[in-house]
Amino acid sequence: MEPFIRIGIDIGGTFTDLQILDERSGALRSLKTPTTPEDPSIGLLTGIGEAATRFGFSIADIRILLHGTTIATNAVLERKLARGVLLTTAGFEDVLEIGRHGRRDIYGLKPHQEPPLIARDRRLGLAERMRADGSIETALAAGAVDAVLPRLDALRAEAVAVCLLHAHVNPAHEQLVAERLHLLRPDLPVSISSEISPEIREYERSSTTVLNALLMPVVGNYLRRLTARMAEAGLTARLLLVQSNGGVCSPDVARRQPARLLLSGPSGGALATLRMAETLDRPNLLGVDMGGTSYDVCVVRDGAVTQMTQGEIDHLPVRLPMVEIRTIGSGGGSIAAVDEAGRLRVGPRSAGSRPGPVCYGRGGTEPAVTDADLALGRLDPRFFLGGAMALDRLAAAAAIAAKVGEPLGLGTEQAAEGILAVTDTGLAAAARLSLFEKGLDPRDFSLLSFGGAGGLHAVPVAEELGIREVVFPADASTFSAFGILHSDIVHDLARSRVMPLTADALPWVGQTMSALRVQGEALLAADGVSEADRRFAVSADLRYRGQAFELVVPWPEAPALDPLLADFHALHEARFSYANPEAPVELVALRMAVTGLLPPVHAERAAGRGADREPEARETWLAGAWRRIPVHQRERITGPVDGPALIEEEYTTIFLAEGWRCAPGPAGALIARKEAA
Amino acid sequence: MSTMDPVALEILRNALTATAAEMDVTVWRTSRSTVVRELLDYSTAVFDRGGQNVAQAARIPQHLNSMGSGLLTVLRDHLPVEQWEDGDVIITNDPYCGGQHIPDILAFRPVFVDGVRVGIVGTLCHHLDMGGMAAGSYAAAATEVFQEGLRIPPLKLVRRGVLNEDILAMMRQNVRRPDMLWGDLQAQLASLAVGEANLRRLAMRTGTDTFVAACAQMLDGSERAMRAMIGRIPDGRYEFEDFLDDDGISPDPVRIHAAVEVRGEEITIDLSGCGKQAVGPINATLASAQSAISYSVMAVSDAEIPANAGCYRPIRTIAPEGLIVNARHPAPVANRVAVTHRLATTILGALHQAIPGRVPAAYYGVSYVCSFQTIGADGERGVLVEIEVGGSGAYADQDGLSAYTFGMHNNSNIPAEMIESEMPLTIVGYGLLPGSGGAGRHRGGLGLFREWRIDSPEAIFTANLERFTHRPYGLEGGEAGREGRLFIISNGERRALGSKVNNLRLKRGDIVRLETSGGGGYGSPAARPAEARARDAALGYA
Repeated sequence: MEPFIRIGIDIGGTFTDLQILDERSGALRSLKTPTTPEDPSIGLLTGIGEAATRFGFSIADIRILLHGTTIATNAVLERKLARGVLLTTAGFEDVLEIGRHGRRDIYGLKPHQEPPLIARDRRLGLAERMRADGSIETALAAGAVDAVLPRLDALRAEAVAVCLLHAHVNPAHEQLVAERLHLLRPDLPVSISSEISPEIREYERSSTTVLNALLMPVVGNYLRRLTARMAEAGLTARLLLVQSNGGVCSPDVARRQPARLLLSGPSGGALATLRMAETLDRPNLLGVDMGGTSYDVCVVRDGAVTQMTQGEIDHLPVRLPMVEIRTIGSGGGSIAAVDEAGRLRVGPRSAGSRPGPVCYGRGGTEPAVTDADLALGRLDPRFFLGGAMALDRLAAAAAIAAKVGEPLGLGTEQAAEGILAVTDTGLAAAARLSLFEKGLDPRDFSLLSFGGAGGLHAVPVAEELGIREVVFPADASTFSAFGILHSDIVHDLARSRVMPLTADALPWVGQTMSALRVQGEALLAADGVSEADRRFAVSADLRYRGQAFELVVPWPEAPALDPLLADFHALHEARFSYANPEAPVELVALRMAVTGLLPPVHAERAAGRGADREPEARETWLAGAWRRIPVHQRERITGPVDGPALIEEEYTTIFLAEGWRCAPGPAGALIARKEAA
Repeated sequence: MSTMDPVALEILRNALTATAAEMDVTVWRTSRSTVVRELLDYSTAVFDRGGQNVAQAARIPQHLNSMGSGLLTVLRDHLPVEQWEDGDVIITNDPYCGGQHIPDILAFRPVFVDGVRVGIVGTLCHHLDMGGMAAGSYAAAATEVFQEGLRIPPLKLVRRGVLNEDILAMMRQNVRRPDMLWGDLQAQLASLAVGEANLRRLAMRTGTDTFVAACAQMLDGSERAMRAMIGRIPDGRYEFEDFLDDDGISPDPVRIHAAVEVRGEEITIDLSGCGKQAVGPINATLASAQSAISYSVMAVSDAEIPANAGCYRPIRTIAPEGLIVNARHPAPVANRVAVTHRLATTILGALHQAIPGRVPAAYYGVSYVCSFQTIGADGERGVLVEIEVGGSGAYADQDGLSAYTFGMHNNSNIPAEMIESEMPLTIVGYGLLPGSGGAGRHRGGLGLFREWRIDSPEAIFTANLERFTHRPYGLEGGEAGREGRLFIISNGERRALGSKVNNLRLKRGDIVRLETSGGGGYGSPAARPAEARARDAALGYA
């Protein structure tokens, strides 16, 4: 029998989430298993084994394994990276250390300056120089690489990053360096900037190339362990890894370009948001993912996830296309405290999962958001994480009383309510700014809530934003894995060249498009994607002459100039409130998104089991008083439920405020709407 | 008036800060010029009904703490708040009526609910050009404010929602790029509209009385925290002095002196010992100087205090008119940031005596502004303005930061690849300057070097620099950071230039080399641990 199981896996800090699709019937299942931080591939294989047993398929039935991973992200955050060397144009060895200036904390006398990932004595200059037009001012001497080899050996380099000035225009020197290094030290991983991020701006390109080089051994080792474990388990499924851009790539690409995995985790949530936008026919959807330590916001607008051409990790720029996600450090573990000025602050400090909120009973002493939720009866102490962990409600209430109530002269309930109010308005402000900076109005959006802590805060946040509809997808706690299940193979290709966008640019545009197309076809052929399933989308980075930032404009009719220019002016108007059709326009980069379609997913979700008992009720603090409100089990909901109410499911709880009504919708989602006043 | 409970107060405070942030995004989204959009030289803020600053967007300290005093000057001396009506927009750029220097236009709009004024929103933008004897209204050779550009006294650009086209026409006629002026001014108006709508929504939700009372509570809260912070500083009178190299007209240094007197929970900054106002444009108005004072006192705080006008209340300033820190009309003021940087290092130096350990040694303390105008064979002109930085001072427990923006300003650099793609200039090198950080137990941060080569037949170079003779001081036996330098390398010969360069003609192949100051060191160099020395040697920092 042909394999028929497709699995999407999202590995988080605490749990490894799986969504399992039977491609024959469309049946969709989900499962959670603890993450094994020392080697996440162990938990991954455990989860697959559990799924096979529980849902009755064999390991050999698995056809595709789509894997979201934080292996690259964590390696950067914990600085567990390879020992690297940077080769760069002589005279520019310090670009990586100087960065772009600019600070975020404007009053502090001790701003945080991150030490460079490659120290100064490991950054070596090569005597060579390209000009901005790609012509060579100083040729790279024939023996230049051989000459630095003793230094590389003495520095015991485990990976080499090469970033030369203007290499995005003319990569010849970088390619010479890479070829020579491969010949002399075949096992040494080398990353050249013209391959990983061929875009103008030397600091951002260096940063990206360095991250990529230092991650090559890390991700390479992980994939080696993972494939060994897969082979051991008899798992012959095709393995694909989730990239920051929302597409997946082969292990081979991941090994060579691991920087593309840096935002793998949150991009699964964005993909899932996009999928729900299509399923529910809501072209404008604001996706919010609230976990223990962070709140991630993504925007689906007119049926597409907003993307950006550059992101950052731990203040290090990554110049690669990625899904646009705004993250603030606010989650169930955010700590509430009263400062010297008598202000109630929630976050940015977090109790994390160790020790965690006070109610976890693991030694936490400062009250967190989850403690407030528990103290007000919104969480069931016996039913947290499906009953896997008992919560200590009295300890939570005592900590709130001592650390917040007393200093502010408030009762415990008022203090807890205050913590939630400050939290929810902060979450709303972050979501609002995500839309506002794009010129969008929250009232034109529905809110989609997921993540373990999302359900209790979504409706209050929506109220604050003036949003009248909130969607709670099925299996919210494994929702990113659901998104991953739907990904396709994506390669982002780009070439950068600053030139006036006139007919004179067309020869370069034509050549570049052909070259990118050839490269894209070759990549998809290597991925085993048939010609019928290949898609190519061209876009251009444009700006008015004199501007220092660009807009990415889709160019479906490339290389026809007029429609591109018209679209650019229109987009500029929408984004920045003005357009200047008379002003000269510059081309800065040409991009091609190369997609290899995987077989489409047709998922069916079983309907709720229906009510076989009356909902329970629980004492909950609402607007200044204890009230007994119904507690529903989500899987039993078949008809409308009116707020105030709590809806519990295995890994999360939903709070439905007064004036809101929710009902089952498509794909197992619950849809809550604010009733007309 | 009813007071607000602490939870509601915190929510309102966050909402006001979010309002300033949304105003900030609006300016960025709708502005036109590179100064605003790329150098991000603008700020936004929210004020209470009487003009006291209650919330700020995180931008530029120099702006943020001068908008409030600018607004109060306007209200006190020019347009009393009773004359402000719903839909009015009041603007000024006049350094002698609440402004800072001519390129900065302040714009304010009152917010009314049911006929009651509940607050004021404000923006400050550095405009590309406001006329005067030099492009950018930044003439290094000006000796009177009249040469520096068009002055707009406080007036209503918009009256009850109706734009005064006559004033606008008058402004457009006097500047080099009227399209940019109007574009950025529109961005300010759009930002004020966003702020006004937000503030009105918030005040309607809480009720106007409660809103007004809550603003007062926030100011009182910050004042209390600030007083408590000052109370923890030992009483005494602490004096310190530092110098500006010169004003670009005469070679004489200018003394900056501060006597900081701490008495209980109040602090007095006496600037009477500062030098007389200069002939050249390195003067500051009192509003500019106060901005440096507020920044310095807020920066040494050992607690996180919400920045608002309540923070200023325990601070008293003594600065007689006619000094460089309170220049008398019509002194030129374009490069007032030279004074405010130096005021900050001076006040911080004085505070170090009171609270040793908390204040770092001196940072570079200069906005290294260099401009190149290239002239092609066909006469085509290109303009590049760069703002560079140096090393920051060492701390009691760690080395200073190298090549990192610090103190009164907050700018970004420009990628070499971007410059070379757009102009006939080549960046020959850009890197840290080994040895430029002041020696000490903890070393000062390193300054940097940058070299520009002229690839056009001709070019004109202008620079407005400092710290060429008076180096950033060290503390507790730490040595001063190295002085800044500027060279021209022509036909293989290197020649040193002064810190102020006015319209120097360059030709193809000439190279300009800038070396910025390092930060001062902290503690005796002899006490520097061996491993730190070894590390400096290995990394080539020393």
